[in-house]
Amino acid sequence: MHSPTPNPAAADLTVRDTGGVRSYVKSGQPYVWTTAAAIAVSVIITVALLVLTAVRGMAHFWPADLLQATYAPPGEAPAPLLVEVRSAEEVTGARLQTAGLPIEDPEALYTRALVKVGNRDLYGADFRYVVEEWIGDRSWPEDATVWERVEWGNLHGFLLSASIDGRTIAGPQAWTAYREAQRRANELREQIDAIERDEIGAINYRMERLRLEERRLELDGLTRAQDTAAFAALDARRAALDGEYAELNAERTRLYEALNRDSIAVRTIDARELTVPLAKLVAGWQPNDMNLLQKIGFWFGKVWEFVSDEPREANTEGGIFPAIFGTVLMVIIMSIFVTPFGILAALYLREYAKQGPVTRAIRIAVNNLAGVPSIVFGMFGLGFFVYFVGGSIDRLFFPEAAPAPVFGTPGILWASLTLALLTLPVVIVATEEGLARIPRSIREASLALGATKAETLWRVVLPMASPAMMTGLILAIARAAGETAPLMLVGVVKLAPNLPIDGNFPFLHFERKFMHLGFHIYDVGFQSPNVEAARPLVYATSFLLVVVIVVLNVAAITIRNRLREHYKALED
Amino acid sequence: MNTPGYKSHISSQFNAELEDVRQRVLAMGGLVEQQIVDATHALMDRDAERAAEVAKNDYKVNGLEVFIDDECARILARRQPTASDLRLVYAVIKTITDLERIGDEAEKIARMAMDLAQHDRFSEGMLEVQHLSRHVTQMVHDALDAFARMDAEAAFAAAREDQAIDREYEALMRQCITFMMEDPRTIRRVMDIIWSVRALERIGDHAKNIAEYVIYYVKGKDVRHVSLEAMEKEVKGG
Amino acid sequence: MSGVQTKTPLTHGIDIESLEREQTGSRVDDGTIAAEVDGLNLFYGAKQALRDISLRVPEKKVTAFIGPSGCGKSTLLRCFNRMNDLIDGCRIEGQIRLHGKNIFDRDVDVAILRRRVGMVFQKPNPFPKSIYENVAYGLRLAGQSKKRELDEIVEWALKGAALWDEVKDRLEDSALGLSGGQQQRLVIARAIAIQPDVILLDEPCSALDPISTLKVEELINELKNRYTIVIVTHNMQQAARVSDFTAFMYMGDLVEFGNTDQLFTKPKQKQTEDYITGRYG
Repeated sequence: MHSPTPNPAAADLTVRDTGGVRSYVKSGQPYVWTTAAAIAVSVIITVALLVLTAVRGMAHFWPADLLQATYAPPGEAPAPLLVEVRSAEEVTGARLQTAGLPIEDPEALYTRALVKVGNRDLYGADFRYVVEEWIGDRSWPEDATVWERVEWGNLHGFLLSASIDGRTIAGPQAWTAYREAQRRANELREQIDAIERDEIGAINYRMERLRLEERRLELDGLTRAQDTAAFAALDARRAALDGEYAELNAERTRLYEALNRDSIAVRTIDARELTVPLAKLVAGWQPNDMNLLQKIGFWFGKVWEFVSDEPREANTEGGIFPAIFGTVLMVIIMSIFVTPFGILAALYLREYAKQGPVTRAIRIAVNNLAGVPSIVFGMFGLGFFVYFVGGSIDRLFFPEAAPAPVFGTPGILWASLTLALLTLPVVIVATEEGLARIPRSIREASLALGATKAETLWRVVLPMASPAMMTGLILAIARAAGETAPLMLVGVVKLAPNLPIDGNFPFLHFERKFMHLGFHIYDVGFQSPNVEAARPLVYATSFLLVVVIVVLNVAAITIRNRLREHYKALED
Repeated sequence: MNTPGYKSHISSQFNAELEDVRQRVLAMGGLVEQQIVDATHALMDRDAERAAEVAKNDYKVNGLEVFIDDECARILARRQPTASDLRLVYAVIKTITDLERIGDEAEKIARMAMDLAQHDRFSEGMLEVQHLSRHVTQMVHDALDAFARMDAEAAFAAAREDQAIDREYEALMRQCITFMMEDPRTIRRVMDIIWSVRALERIGDHAKNIAEYVIYYVKGKDVRHVSLEAMEKEVKGG
Repeated sequence: MSGVQTKTPLTHGIDIESLEREQTGSRVDDGTIAAEVDGLNLFYGAKQALRDISLRVPEKKVTAFIGPSGCGKSTLLRCFNRMNDLIDGCRIEGQIRLHGKNIFDRDVDVAILRRRVGMVFQKPNPFPKSIYENVAYGLRLAGQSKKRELDEIVEWALKGAALWDEVKDRLEDSALGLSGGQQQRLVIARAIAIQPDVILLDEPCSALDPISTLKVEELINELKNRYTIVIVTHNMQQAARVSDFTAFMYMGDLVEFGNTDQLFTKPKQKQTEDYITGRYG
């Protein structure tokens, strides 16, 4: 009032209220911060998940140094240790006391370390807890060696001598000689593996087929007496296979002999001397003697082994290749089923069905299907696919195999179909969405040029909706690849003897059981006899599962983006 | 000089329509010019027949005016011309009005010629009348030529002639008045001549208007009712 | 610049009578009739969208339908190639005869009808394919697959749509890379590639800038030498510019149909006058 502004219109533009909560809320700043915080939390959690699994999992393959020391709990005789230190934590004396350790001061804090002692065959366990305060005489001897064995876990010790081809080499040359012999042994083992798994496996497969053929002949009412020619042919083929088998077996025996030729002598830290045949060893390394570069090289080798090898020792050793393979194959088979099926369903629902209460009900039903717990799908898969469909197939097409089921048992086909069913709603919804987004004008353009509805759909609408279909497929893959629970009912096993794809006709064996990363995590993590050894593997496998899903998704997204570029939507 | 812009529309139909209108204006101009020539000849030669022909032919001029007017209205309705196109159509509409008036004046001269033909020969001042008529015809011709070429400078040159024609007209008028004062018996005939001269002077004014429309079309400036100097400034500058 | 001489021979022998005939322009019944709409009623469910429409579309002329939004002009246009078939609950009474044959007869193959009556839509709607494939689309549908013949027709159609010079070097590029005006001309090329008798244009320029609009209008002007063209437009001036005949529709009724010059200079109906002068409302 006291100083009237000469131009009130100009005064209107200036900020009048600069303070107070209300004006702060009004300014919109809080919303910006809230939304930014939400996205920040999401990003942090995602990154944390990746980093945690990657670090915990991948660190497992790092060659840890071997600590030589004496462990002297009060009142006990000092014992020598040769261990990898895994982790350490501070605990109160009281807790250690309850664990039965001779603690003097329950109030004091102690550092409890988890160490890997190896030599399970000698000590009964790979891991033990030690109290760091009681460890003395620490040293890291350069010749301390870790051997990875075919069974019984790792061996920690010192190489005394190598017995190569009857000669015994001791001293500094022993290590190089051993390395050489180990390489040879691994090659031999690979050859034996190839013979046993591929060639003898193929013969066994064909023998089984012959048996089934014979059984079929018998089921058809033929007898050996009447139909000598047919049975004679079978017998001849069987004889040929037997001959092949004998040959292979001889070769195998020869290889085994060669494999068992060499051995080494090892001294453990508690001065026991062992003679270990190289056939029982996978690899040996001296971590204390390795420089960083060598360790990195070793790490990559181990990771590659993990990705490409088959599991050993109740899945706690070796690789997880069959699980990766099974996961990917199952996802691919599922995609092959779910994509056309989902697209056809969406096409009918969107393009042909008369829109009304019925279609609306169907749409709601489809959407709700996506919310059904996956284990329920597993039950359905078991009841419908495995027992009903599979059982019927067996009765109709494989009577000769009875009572052993062929398709009437969980297998990769049923698992894929179950997951296809599980992910069907996603594909349907995404495809429908894509179809709905195609501008009416484009359809009319096609129709106006004399195309029928089917021609329009096939030539214009479907190609344009393909990015949306790919989106649906991407979502389906993301969901299917991580699904575990239903698979346990319809085809996943802890350890599958064969991959679902091999060199035997028909190459892709739909009826076979398979391994799966998700189930592998569950199995290694909870069903393993050796929990401490398995824990890093759980992380590593989880990380790999994430990687597999990301790779599958990225592949699908790349295809989608390419399609999208091509069918850049006209809507604007 | 400007390139006739009306020939470069995306719509070839529009080009054709504008060109057609222009051609018809020129045709009408040619017809009108011929009418003036014929009428003055009839006046000079006391040729009643030729005069009658001129009077009769005026309906063609009128017909063309109506036709072109219609055509312009059609263009306005269908094409909504803007800028130079609008000025062109506008100039055409104005031009044909003046052409039609010129036609009327020619008809008037023809009627005078028919009237004069019935009287005795009268030669005094005829030479000057003839001169004036040539001058006027030339001016009409120049104005139409400027229209055909859409040449502002030529149009200005034509417009400037109007002053000379006015002076000639005044001189002739004084002469006629002298005739009448000298011999009142000639009044009737001299009056006919005065009317004719008056008609010729009017034709000059109309031709000047046409020239002004050309300048209006080319320069986009209305140069009616301004001094010649101002007109010249518009034409040379800008 | 050389002056145009005014010594014109046109002066003499002007036949005023002939001028007068020109002035009145051609009448609908002068030429041949391409299509005849006869007592057409159209219902969307219970709502009547077209009321007793009868008009004759002259051959190789441009006929425009104008009128306010919702007057039924697009609906009427879409009757000519039975695009309304696609709409549920659309019922049609009456006839549209194309060269004497009622297109609503049961034995009419809609696909063949649509090949004879091409259509261009409001928004340029090229398929997300190459320029070539867009034009060849209708031909491929009709079973044409010989590369050489396709090449020829595609070139012919693109030339016909005044687009050839602009795209001849990039026929394999996506049609979506063209500008709006080019896309609309491509769509016209696509329509004429199957050589229809009639081309329906449903507000073909409403999504285009003024220059593209003029190009398309010029194209329409050229196309009418070959085809019968029916155009729906919001834009009265466009109807005035391109059409030979204009039909003014209002609320599903055909108010006035006649020569475009006449309709735009002295309409017979008060409603038409009000609409074209902007007094509608």
